[in-house]
Amino acid sequence: MVCEICGQREATFHFKEVINGQVRELHLCEVCAREKGLLEESFFMPDFSLSNLMTGLSSLEVPFLKEKVERCPNCSLTYEEIRKKGKIGCSSCYHTFREYLIPLLERIHGKSYHSGKVPTRKEMGDEKSKQIYRLRRELDKAIKEERYEEAAKIRDEIRKLEGFEKGERNESSRNS
Amino acid sequence: MSLREIADSQSFWLKGDGPEADIIFSSRIRLARNLRGFIFPPWADSLTLKRVSEKVLDAIKRCNYLKNARLIDMNKLSSIERGFLLERHLISVEFSRGGSHRFLVVQQGEMLSVMINEEDHLRLQTIFSGLQLREAWRVANKLDDELSEHLDYAFSPQFGYLTSCPTNVGTGMRASCMVHLPALVMAGKINELLKGISQLGLVARGLYGEGTASHGDFFQISNQVTLGLKEEEVVDNVERVTRQVVGQERKAREILLKRNGAQLKDQIGRAYGILTNAHLISSQEAINLLSKLRMGVSLHLLPEFDMKVLNELLFLIGPAQLQIKSGKNLDASSRDELRAKIIREKLTGSY
Repeated sequence: MVCEICGQREATFHFKEVINGQVRELHLCEVCAREKGLLEESFFMPDFSLSNLMTGLSSLEVPFLKEKVERCPNCSLTYEEIRKKGKIGCSSCYHTFREYLIPLLERIHGKSYHSGKVPTRKEMGDEKSKQIYRLRRELDKAIKEERYEEAAKIRDEIRKLEGFEKGERNESSRNS
Repeated sequence: MSLREIADSQSFWLKGDGPEADIIFSSRIRLARNLRGFIFPPWADSLTLKRVSEKVLDAIKRCNYLKNARLIDMNKLSSIERGFLLERHLISVEFSRGGSHRFLVVQQGEMLSVMINEEDHLRLQTIFSGLQLREAWRVANKLDDELSEHLDYAFSPQFGYLTSCPTNVGTGMRASCMVHLPALVMAGKINELLKGISQLGLVARGLYGEGTASHGDFFQISNQVTLGLKEEEVVDNVERVTRQVVGQERKAREILLKRNGAQLKDQIGRAYGILTNAHLISSQEAINLLSKLRMGVSLHLLPEFDMKVLNELLFLIGPAQLQIKSGKNLDASSRDELRAKIIREKLTGSY
């Protein structure tokens, strides 16, 4: 059996974990196991997760590829680079690669809109961001309550605000 | 600063004084936060990490919640010292590999801590004894509010708090309870239960080490989704499910006691016998036996033991803990000897 990380050396270490009753196995060579910190004497670490080591974006395909390779204006990474490593580059990437990320987030979370807390700091989100945020919550509520006509209106309003935001993007990468 | 001080001080969450603490070890909230405009740690160069750590440390200094916290520079620690913090549940596996411009800030009692430049610029953690997830969230939320007064968080109205890994984006929150379910394991009901939990959108993680050795009685229940739900909804959800699991475990214990009482008592008695008489014991064996003893105490079959002592033994007998406590490097067999000695002393001394 070959190592599941490098795919070259013989796997001599075998790990097992159970998530939601499903057994998951991982077979690694000594070099990769050591690199992942798995060779220290096993001890009580409920946090430890094989799947965290293995997954990220890497198992998820790019939904569609654009003709030209776009780079994030802030960190200059491409989506392909991000996908390979499974880690986003910076806050601006979320804006730059939103078309890629929205379907991905929907697959992971079932949703692509935040509805939790907002930073307290006053100068944090500008007025427009706050307004978009408020409108999104209203939109969610309207859909839930099946008030579709109203939902459509709210959606249009959000689009209008977002369009404005997009046009501004080149001057400021802050509004990720 | 010396880690001996931490080794000699108490982890408050191990006290076992929270609600349902005989089955639920701990309730934990972790929040992932990043600074706007700065490249996230997995991609950042050394200068960026340095600037981030300076900004965050400056904010932490102004934070009332972390007034007397210790600051630990991961770069100055040996691998044993980093292992110690890992075993103590203060840092993640990833963080335990060390690296420059990485810091751990930890409040006395270890209920509040912050990792700087882990996978995200900040990882806030609160950990409480027993089932106190709401309280853990309340405190984490306050600390987060305080920090956000001084830091410009990466936040978007659509995606929420922006994180290095898309699995954390939104609330950036992982709410988890660590539970001890020996009776459900013995009764062969555990897989069914874990599958049920996954259908509720939560993750139940059991841990198996290399080969057949297992920490099979311990599980962590946590949320999977971080986007699209309010923090309070997630906390309620995890807490509600954990409560149900505890109910099931209590029922399973009752049934075991009724149907196979002698067998159960025998196993607990034998565990007690080995733990109080062994002179060499691996952490694996110790954990398996302490698990039985813990259940025995909870069922009042061994009423004289303090839960706190058993919790401390479970969590504080790892290889790195032993070496930090003893102040020297120990090979595996010396560790097994020291571990057995500590267990004997703690158990026989706690009558």
